[in-house]
Amino acid sequence: MSDLDKAIAQLRACRPIPESQVRELCYKARELLIEEGNVVCVDAPVTICGDIHGQFHDLMELFRVGGDVPETCYLFMGDFVDRGFYSLESFLLLLCLKVRYPDRITLIRGNHESRQITTVYGFYDECLRKYGSANVWRYCCEVFDYLALGALIIGASTDMQPTDAPLVDPNSQAHVPSDATDLEIEILNSSGQIINRFQRQPRQSGNSQDLSQLSNPPSSPSQTQPDQTPTRSGAPGTSATSNSGGSASNSSGAVLCVHGGLSPLIDSIDKIRLLDRKQEVPHEGAMCDLLWSDPDEIEGWGLSPRGAGFLFGADIVKCFNQKNDLSLICRAHQLVMEGFKEMFDNTIVTVWSAPNYCYRCGNVAAILELGEDGSNAGYAPRTNGDVGRVGGPLAERGQDLRMGPGRRYRVFEAAPQDSRGMPAKKPVADYFL
Amino acid sequence: MAAPPPIPTLERLPASAEHTFSSPSKRINDGDDLQFFHTSTAYQDLVTWLLQLSRSMFPTRESGSDVQPSTLDSPPPFSSTVQSLQDLVSDLEALTKDAPPDTGPRRFGNVAFRTWFKLMEEALDQLLDKHLVPLLQRYERQQSALKDELGAYLLGSFGSAQRLDYGTGHELSFLAFLGCLWKLNAFEDGEERAIVMGVMQPYLILVRVLINTYTLEPAGSHGVWGLDDHSHLPYIFGSAQLGPAIDVTAQPPQPTPTEGSSPNSPLPSSVTDKALVADLAESNMYFSAIAFIYAVKRGPFWEHSPVLYDVSGIKDGWGKINKGMVKMWVAEVLGKFPVVQHFVFGSLWRWERHESVMADGAKTAHAASQPRSGQQAPGSMPPPGGAGTKAPWAKPGVGGAEVGNGVPSMRAPWAGTRQQHAGPSHMGATQRPPAASGMPPTAAPWAATQRPAPSNATAGVSRTPAPRRDGG
Repeated sequence: MSDLDKAIAQLRACRPIPESQVRELCYKARELLIEEGNVVCVDAPVTICGDIHGQFHDLMELFRVGGDVPETCYLFMGDFVDRGFYSLESFLLLLCLKVRYPDRITLIRGNHESRQITTVYGFYDECLRKYGSANVWRYCCEVFDYLALGALIIGASTDMQPTDAPLVDPNSQAHVPSDATDLEIEILNSSGQIINRFQRQPRQSGNSQDLSQLSNPPSSPSQTQPDQTPTRSGAPGTSATSNSGGSASNSSGAVLCVHGGLSPLIDSIDKIRLLDRKQEVPHEGAMCDLLWSDPDEIEGWGLSPRGAGFLFGADIVKCFNQKNDLSLICRAHQLVMEGFKEMFDNTIVTVWSAPNYCYRCGNVAAILELGEDGSNAGYAPRTNGDVGRVGGPLAERGQDLRMGPGRRYRVFEAAPQDSRGMPAKKPVADYFL
Repeated sequence: MAAPPPIPTLERLPASAEHTFSSPSKRINDGDDLQFFHTSTAYQDLVTWLLQLSRSMFPTRESGSDVQPSTLDSPPPFSSTVQSLQDLVSDLEALTKDAPPDTGPRRFGNVAFRTWFKLMEEALDQLLDKHLVPLLQRYERQQSALKDELGAYLLGSFGSAQRLDYGTGHELSFLAFLGCLWKLNAFEDGEERAIVMGVMQPYLILVRVLINTYTLEPAGSHGVWGLDDHSHLPYIFGSAQLGPAIDVTAQPPQPTPTEGSSPNSPLPSSVTDKALVADLAESNMYFSAIAFIYAVKRGPFWEHSPVLYDVSGIKDGWGKINKGMVKMWVAEVLGKFPVVQHFVFGSLWRWERHESVMADGAKTAHAASQPRSGQQAPGSMPPPGGAGTKAPWAKPGVGGAEVGNGVPSMRAPWAGTRQQHAGPSHMGATQRPPAASGMPPTAAPWAATQRPAPSNATAGVSRTPAPRRDGG
């Protein structure tokens, strides 16, 4: 068993590894991350996760529900640390897995992966308490600076292979199509039972789906998909079209994953690629916005109440998706009581993976699985990063949005706590000496 | 910390003299201001007032006789002033009925809190009229100026309507409100315990109602690593209640105990016993606060409240815990920019240098943990040295600033007050937003209001003057 595997085993048992090992791990992680672009390309199938916030036992529950690394390929959208009790164990475990299985797990940066934020929201205090010095905090912060800013998921299928999982409530047949052809969304609970399914709806159908009785309705069901399958199949993420004769497939457009959201300074994914990311998260500018912004029911851009990043409306998302040939933006950053929330005609989704956030919010968590498009013999066109293939947003108007990928959400609750023994009390802060 | 005998109390205004009130204003806009604050009269007075109230909560005895316990279920008699203030708190609580929580889709903090806040703002003048009759009569000719000054502290006591959060800065404002009344001779000598049990505790209960009703966020959360999501004072007063008795007949006055417990007091480790906590919550402010934590949180106590868990292992009794809680309050509340930046100064809490600043013992307690800024404030003393918790980047030599702890909810630490709308589109939206509407989770700690230029450990960070400060 290698040292790394030993460290993984130790961290899985929720025991921190020695400072010297942390140092080595962080060094290796940096060597690995420095090779990654600002926007990492990830092939479907992949399981996308939102904020963790040091909720280690819930992270273990996430792996139980979603499958272990390396069997399942994961993408974590940042905010591993702060607020919870086990930021250190959670982040170091994810980092170990990254170093051990670099192609099976992708970590991107959240707004909490920053020196300034971690000194305010707990991770710094935690490191100090668990190691007696700030060294480990410092090593971790150096890794933060190298984390990618986003990821582009390629080759996700618009078709979803229905699971043969049982329904939670057999009486709900009326709501849950069992034949499951043309399935767009499937929602499973932590036992793998189907809570709900949604089929693709033609745009005209309006609000045909009755969501009132569902336990985990997506906030906006998929009733506004384009009338017809798009004919383009150029490299997603590049806005390339298939006019030059690319082969048709049922691959959806690419899915952009980013912690917060969009920036008024970024109108194409290539602009993200041009940023110099290896620094502390700035207080403003494109890099800051990607990590801090939130979608909101507004038009255009608005001020963010957070004091960093912006609010952006449906028009911004649709325009961005079209220009960049995206079918979906996947982001985290905001607590969602139901674990996930699709907005703006399913063009953007918030995924939240910290159940009962801060021990008191009472929310469930979710992860999002995107399946692989097998129809093209597993071949997915790669983005080539070319700029300027298409005209601006105006030129695009009237074209269809890409059809979204099939989406399987797994919803889970906070891990049971019975098994966690009470630890010895630690020495108190100086105030009490 | 410990002020040596004689035990200082908050100085009152001469009862007969005229007083010129002034509308309180925000003064703490950057790290230098924070440093000046620590040398100010207001700061001295706040510490004195806190220690005075804390001392009053210890059990008492007269030499030779039995200990008189200090419990919420056997409070001292309440004067008409205390009763009026209780009624004021009840009236504020009643306003929640006119502001039911919004049932629509929301994130966390409930926007109906803004309705309650507005109702409170509108009722404020009238509530002061109704409940402070003798005081207003005494200052008949300056009534409106008096209400203006007092009202500012009351208004600041109930959380932020904008951010939908509540924290120790708001709690501080209520402490200051009561201190104003003391200075204005609204209370009698020896009435301190009645003030805490009769007014402060009902206030804390009202705050819990607000937090529950409107799911207010913790303002300035260190996550699990803070003492408590919202409060600090109940841990000071509650630990005092369980400390050893003070002999009130002793001459010179006995110093406030800093270790030991009163006989029959529960063990500090009782905090992990939920049933015991529920029992003690009725009589003790410390356990009342812990009971609230149990009511709102699920999970092991040692995990969601590790600081309180560790404190529960202290062997030297409740007196020791009280001393630590006071020190911690001075450092984490009065010492932290994000918390005290909202405090306002007027004719009662004065923004002026305290003459005995060098000699004062109380101030050294927190000195260590103060954020440093590069230069000293004009006229301020050099910061007293000492070890203790420092912001990691606050190395000597690093110019400027700290990022304090305990920041208003999840905001950018550098954020300032709000600005105009961001340019509608691409390139060149140079304006930084901050603060717009209902804030739920993570706000940048630099947001909210301005912060001192945060110092980053990394070079090359664009040190945006971004979130401009609000004027101050």
